[in-house]
Amino acid sequence: MSLENPFQDPLRFERRVPECAMVIFGANGDLTKRKLLPALYRLAYERRLDAGFAVLGISRTAMSDGDFREKMLASVKEFLEDSPFDADVWTAFAQGLFYMAGNFDDAAVYPALDARLKEIETARHTGGNTLFYLSAQPSQYIPIAQGLAAANVGKAGSGWRRIVIEKPFGHDLASAQKLSAELHSAFEESEVYRIDHYLGKETVQNILAFRFGNGIFEPLWNRRYVNHVQITAAESIGVESRGSYYQEAGALRDMIQNHLSQVMATIAMEPSATFRPNSVRDERSKLLRSIRVMKPDEVLQNTVSGQYGPAHIGGEDVPGFRQEQGVKPDAQTDTYAAVTFFVDNWRWAGVPFYLRSGKRLPKRVTEIAIQFNAAPLEIFNGDESTTAPNLLILRIQPEEGISLKFLSKRPGAGMKLRPVSMDFNYGSSFGERSPSAYETLLLDAIIGDATLYTRQDMVEASWAVVDAVQHVWDNTKFDFPNYAAGTWGPKAADDMLARCGHVWRQP
Amino acid sequence: MGAASGTIAPDRILHDMADLWVSLGKQGDGDAGVLRACSMTLVVAAEESDDAQAIGETLAALMPEHPSRAIVIRFRAEDQRSLAARVFAQCWMPFGHRQQICCEQIEITASDASLPDLAAVVLPLTVPDLPVMLWCRSPRLFHLPAFSQLSAIAQKVVLDSAAFSDAQAALGEMSGAAAAGHLLADLSWTRLTRWRELIAQIFENRAQLANLPRVSDILIAHRGTAIPATSFYLAAWLMDGLAKVGAHPRVRFHADGGEPAWRFTLVELRAQGNADAIASIALAEGHAAEVRTGGLVSKALLPALTDYALMREELSIPGRDPSFEGALAAAAKLALS
Repeated sequence: MSLENPFQDPLRFERRVPECAMVIFGANGDLTKRKLLPALYRLAYERRLDAGFAVLGISRTAMSDGDFREKMLASVKEFLEDSPFDADVWTAFAQGLFYMAGNFDDAAVYPALDARLKEIETARHTGGNTLFYLSAQPSQYIPIAQGLAAANVGKAGSGWRRIVIEKPFGHDLASAQKLSAELHSAFEESEVYRIDHYLGKETVQNILAFRFGNGIFEPLWNRRYVNHVQITAAESIGVESRGSYYQEAGALRDMIQNHLSQVMATIAMEPSATFRPNSVRDERSKLLRSIRVMKPDEVLQNTVSGQYGPAHIGGEDVPGFRQEQGVKPDAQTDTYAAVTFFVDNWRWAGVPFYLRSGKRLPKRVTEIAIQFNAAPLEIFNGDESTTAPNLLILRIQPEEGISLKFLSKRPGAGMKLRPVSMDFNYGSSFGERSPSAYETLLLDAIIGDATLYTRQDMVEASWAVVDAVQHVWDNTKFDFPNYAAGTWGPKAADDMLARCGHVWRQP
Repeated sequence: MGAASGTIAPDRILHDMADLWVSLGKQGDGDAGVLRACSMTLVVAAEESDDAQAIGETLAALMPEHPSRAIVIRFRAEDQRSLAARVFAQCWMPFGHRQQICCEQIEITASDASLPDLAAVVLPLTVPDLPVMLWCRSPRLFHLPAFSQLSAIAQKVVLDSAAFSDAQAALGEMSGAAAAGHLLADLSWTRLTRWRELIAQIFENRAQLANLPRVSDILIAHRGTAIPATSFYLAAWLMDGLAKVGAHPRVRFHADGGEPAWRFTLVELRAQGNADAIASIALAEGHAAEVRTGGLVSKALLPALTDYALMREELSIPGRDPSFEGALAAAAKLALS
C-alpha cells in the first residue's frame, strides 16, 4: 500500500505538487522568457513547488547552466508582473535550472537528454516525473515527440510523463488529426496537455463557479430566457512583429477556433456530473460537437471577415495590416472575424451565439454578454430604455468581474425606469492577487489535472466547425481593407446581427 | 455620523447607516456611484486601552478581501452601565476603477457592566443571512461571565491564546469550550500555517515520504522561556500525522529565549541513528526559513504574522476546521499532561 502524506490540510494549504523535472523545448524563446520562467519562479516564491523541482532547458543556442540561469534571472526580473522579486528564493530556485544545447531534429539529442534527466533525478529527487513543455515552432512538435519516443526518454523509471503543447493544434481538421496521431505514437492522449491560456484565466474558471455553484442562474440558462449571447475578444494592437505568422493564421484560426470556442463551450455546456477532468471535458466536447456546421451557402450570411486599414489614432498614424512588416501587400488574411453559431441541442436550439475577435479595435477587452428576453409586456409607457432587456456580462479582461443590468424606478414622481448595473469586481472583491493563467495551468499539468486543458476530440470538433467557414473564405476574394484601425470592425458585422434584430454591444 | 450616549437604539444605528449610504452615493461620481460590499458581520471585542488606530487599520486592510459590516466594541472596566455608538464607512477605490467600494463600520463603546445588554444591541445590527464572526482581542473579556451571551451570536469566536498569561491553561480552557460545542479559532494555530505547510510540502516528495515512518525524534525550538501554545499545537499535529504512518516519536521542546515566545527557531524530524535530520526547518534572517531535506537546501519566505494576515486567513474559514479541532484537543492534553 502506498504511503499518503499525513500532513495535508486542504482547508488552509494551497494545492501541493509532486516532485518533478520540467523539460522546456525552446528554452531560449520568447514564451519561456516572458511567461514560463516568471510563472515558475512565482510558484516557487509562493512555495508551491517541491524543493527539488528542476527545469532542463533545451534549444539550439550553446549555453552553460550558468549562462542559462543568468538569462532566466534577467527575464524573470523583467517580466515578473505585480510580484516582488526575492534574491534568496531565486538563488534556491536557480539551483534547479539546467540547460543543454541541441537541435530537435537530431536523433542524438534525445539519448543525451535522457541521460541528463537521470542525473537531475538523482541530484534533485524528482522521482522520474517529467513534464515536457513544447515551447517550440509547431513544425517541430512531431520531430520532438518522435525523438522522445525513439529514445524512450523518461520512460525507464516509475514516474509519470506528460507533454504540454501550445496552439496551434494544426491549421485545419486534417492537420490536427495528423498531429494527434503523431503525438500518440509517443504519448497516450491522457498524457497530452494542449494548453489554451484563456481557460487558465481566473474569470473563465469563475464561469463554472458562477453557473454551477449557484442555483439561481441555471434555470434561466436556456433558449426560453436567453435571447442571444455575444462573445467579444478585442485587441487594440495590430499584429506587431507577428505579421508573417499571422498572415497564414488569421483571426478565425488564431482566436475563434480555440480560445473563443472554448469560452463558448464553457458558457453553454451542460452541468458536469462531477468536477473531475474528464467529466468537465466530456461536457465541453459535447457542446463543441453540437455547434452546427455551416453549409457553404450559409457561410457568408453568418460570418464576416475583416481586415484593418491604416488610420490616424490619437495623433499617430497607424499602418493597415497590409503595411505591417512581413505582410504581403495583397494579403487576404482576416484580422477580424465574426461568426454566428447555433447550438443544435435542446437547451440552445435557435439561440444565436455571436463570436467576434479582431485586431486594432478600439480597446483591449474580452467579455461575454448574455442578453435575456425582454419582459413580455411593456406596461410602463416609457421610451425604449424602459424595455431594455436584462444583460448579464461576464468580463474576462481587463476589468474582471460580473455585471447584471436591470431596470429600476427612478426616484421621484411618476413611473420612470432606468437601467442600472449591479457589479461584482473580481479583483476588488477578493483582494488577493490572481495567479496568472500560466501559473494555474503549469501547476495543473504537474499535478495531473487536465480539466482546463483541451482534449483531442475538442480540438477536432472546433476545427470541424471552423473549417467549414475557412474553406469558403479561402475561396472568396474579399475587398480588404474593410475597417479602419480603431473602429469596431466592418459594417458587415453590424448587418449580420441586424438581420436577426440584434446589435453588437459596445464593451 | 450620529452618536448617542448612555443607551443605544439599534434602529437609530441602522437609520444612520442608511443615511451614510445616501451621503456616500451623493459624493459619488455620476453613474459610477458607490458599490456596497458585504460577506459577513465581523464583531471585534477589544479593551478601551487597545490601540484603536491599529484595529482600524487592520479592519481597513481586511475589507477588500472580506468585505463586512464591522462592529467594534471597546470595553472599559467600569461598574456603571454606559453605551455609545457611531457609524462610519470604510471606502476604497480599486486601482483603475471609477467606482468606490465601501463597507460599514459601527463603533460601540461600552462598560463591562453593559456587557449583558450588548447581545440585544448587536444582534439586530448583524447582516441577515451572512456569517457572524467574533474576534475577541482580550482574554479578560473572554473570561467575563456575560461574554457567552455575546459569543452566542457568532458562528465562530476567534481568540489568541498567545495573549493569555498561561498557555497550558488557555489550551485547557479553549479545549473545554470547543468540547462544549463552541466553534473557536486560535490565532496561535494560525501562526503555524506556513510552518505546517513547509513540513507538508517536504513530504509530498515520495522519497522523503518513505522516510516518515522512521521518525523517532522531534525537536521544536522556540523563543521565550516557557513552552508557548504554538509549540504544543505543532507537536500535537506532528504526532498525530506520524501516528498515521506508524511512527510514535519523542518530542523535545527547547526554549531559546527572546521574543516573541511563539516564534519557532528550529523544527527537526530525526530518525534514530542518523546523523542528518530527515527534515529540518530553521528560522533564517528576514522573515525566511531554511528548509533542509534529502541534501537539498531551499529558502522559503515566511509572511509577516500581523493581525491582518492572521485574521485574513481565519475569516476565510467561517465554518468548522477539523484539523484545528483535533490539534486543539491533542495540544491541550499534551500541555496538561
